[in-house]
Amino acid sequence: MTDRIILVCTLLLAGVYFWATAQIPSLELGDPLGPKAFPRLLGAGLLISAAMLLAEILRDRKKPKTGASSAWTWERHEWVVVAISAWTALYILVFEPLGYMLSTAIYLLVLTAYFNRGRWLMNVLTSVLFAAISYFAFTKLLGVNLAPGILPF
Amino acid sequence: METFTHIINGFAVCLQPINLWYTFLGVLMGTIIGVLPGIGPSAGIALLIPITYGMNPTSALIMMAGIYYGAKYGGSTTAILIRTPGEAASVMTSIDGYEMAKKGRAGAALAVSAIGSFIAGTIGVVGLTLFAVPLTSIALKFGPAEYFTLMLFAMTAVSTLTGNSPAKGVLATIIGLVIATIGIDLQSGQARYTMGIPEFQDGVGFVVVVVGLFAMAEVFRGLEDMVKGTAPAAMKITGKLWLTREEWRRSIGPIWRGGIIGFVIGVLPGAGGTIASIMSYTTEKRISKHPEEFGHGAIEGVAGPESANNSDTAGALVPLLTLGVPGGGATAVMLGAFIMYGVQPGPLLFQSRPDLVWGLIDSMYVGNVMLLILNLPLVGLFVRLLYIPQGILYPLIVAISAIGAYAINGSTVDLWLILFFGIVGYVFGKVDIPVAPLVLSLVLGGIMEQSFRQAMTISGGNVKVFYGSTITVILLVMSVISVLLPFIIPKLRALGSSGDPS
Repeated sequence: MTDRIILVCTLLLAGVYFWATAQIPSLELGDPLGPKAFPRLLGAGLLISAAMLLAEILRDRKKPKTGASSAWTWERHEWVVVAISAWTALYILVFEPLGYMLSTAIYLLVLTAYFNRGRWLMNVLTSVLFAAISYFAFTKLLGVNLAPGILPF
Repeated sequence: METFTHIINGFAVCLQPINLWYTFLGVLMGTIIGVLPGIGPSAGIALLIPITYGMNPTSALIMMAGIYYGAKYGGSTTAILIRTPGEAASVMTSIDGYEMAKKGRAGAALAVSAIGSFIAGTIGVVGLTLFAVPLTSIALKFGPAEYFTLMLFAMTAVSTLTGNSPAKGVLATIIGLVIATIGIDLQSGQARYTMGIPEFQDGVGFVVVVVGLFAMAEVFRGLEDMVKGTAPAAMKITGKLWLTREEWRRSIGPIWRGGIIGFVIGVLPGAGGTIASIMSYTTEKRISKHPEEFGHGAIEGVAGPESANNSDTAGALVPLLTLGVPGGGATAVMLGAFIMYGVQPGPLLFQSRPDLVWGLIDSMYVGNVMLLILNLPLVGLFVRLLYIPQGILYPLIVAISAIGAYAINGSTVDLWLILFFGIVGYVFGKVDIPVAPLVLSLVLGGIMEQSFRQAMTISGGNVKVFYGSTITVILLVMSVISVLLPFIIPKLRALGSSGDPS
């Protein structure tokens, strides 16, 4: 089942890619191929990989003994991944408005509070110290720009 | 003779205090990255690129190479003590290494890993030193068509030899190439597939893709395992950190054989450290007088694979340095680092910057000595890293990735890309699509398209240019063989399966 979904996604991707390639305006001066030729080759490559995938699906159907190879069923634990993604998205949203130090400290505090439960002192110290030390080390010592945000330094 | 002078001068470069310091930093970070699950050498090197921007390229590349080969040393510590490879290629070490630890011989297992890694790592660097120059003289004959077919060979080999399904490997390769076409086309100045996002005009940086696919996806997997309750616990080091006379006698053969197997596999594109260590393991099991001990704490099963995956790293640098074409995911990231510093590896680099090339190669002799010290007498320090609660470690990896990504352009677009590719990497892991081919083709995509178009321009649009010379024909035949290999190997196994362990 998983492999069939991959097959459909591959065909969709190939379709979108061919369409997007056709949108590139052509002004071919001195370059016999232009910016579209290589992408067209890649579109064909996507179709070839779809065909290979189809061949593998048909082959595996003939001998169903290796059924457990790549079946992905939704597990109860996978909500964790959705939750972390959402929390990380929120972190990115406030990254510039709040600044690196504040947003990172809050981000770490919540994650460690859940995944390293009960050890409050350790979690608070790690989150705050990591955010502060990394901010000053990178901005002051290495000259790397990290969003300052609302804090005055 | 001229080469010999360059090799000696390389030592003068790598023994400068500043470069010794960066070698040390590199191998130290490599060991830490190898020990810690969650962040591998590819993501580690990628994260350092934006931070070290503006540094002297020789020192920066010496440090990054240190991470690359140092991670293999650290990976074995995790494999032996918690049965989880800290680094993918240590997977074979985790079988017999963990069994040895259970029997109270963890000290011996760690010692033989460090010593084997040192001997084999040095064998690998000697091989690199000897083979580099002869290969560059072949590479000088390469034109755009030869480069195009060489990259085609590297990609087909990687896509069909990593993972279980050649179709998914090819799919991953093409997706990488597709991502590489995003941005302004260098020849026509035409913007392609930018979706109206100005940041995409410079293309999707490989740093964020690598960090997303390797670090962020690993954070998802690690935290999921914690919730599942399958996260492993670390064992204590037991027994003296040295070998008995009997253990020495049994290890020395596997170390030499593993060192040679690893180097040869490393030079070839596609296979990489994991396959090198599996080949060494099966070889040792086949020629052993006590094959029944394998899987129950045979020291040969630690010595061989651990040596193989260390000499593999030096082997893998041969095509990268001499041809400028990497043969796997981690060396592709190294190529990305070279390009970011404005250094194009390949035969011409040996002529224009012998100080850089030989300084880098010679630093690996020094780095291996440092790694032996770090991983033998000082291994106890690194083992403590395994006691860091994973609930703290994984969130910190996200924050470190955020620093590295934001440092590139000071734009949150790169942060969104890390999250996006983290989810992609997690899903790909679940559905068994390998990510190493994607990284390789993403890094090579731009160069590949350029050489394709140059070759076509030279030939006036005639595709014959791609099968017109001996070199291109050989490379095309090798590409076809690498595509067919996954179909041929099972048939060969079925024919001669008498002594086959699997």
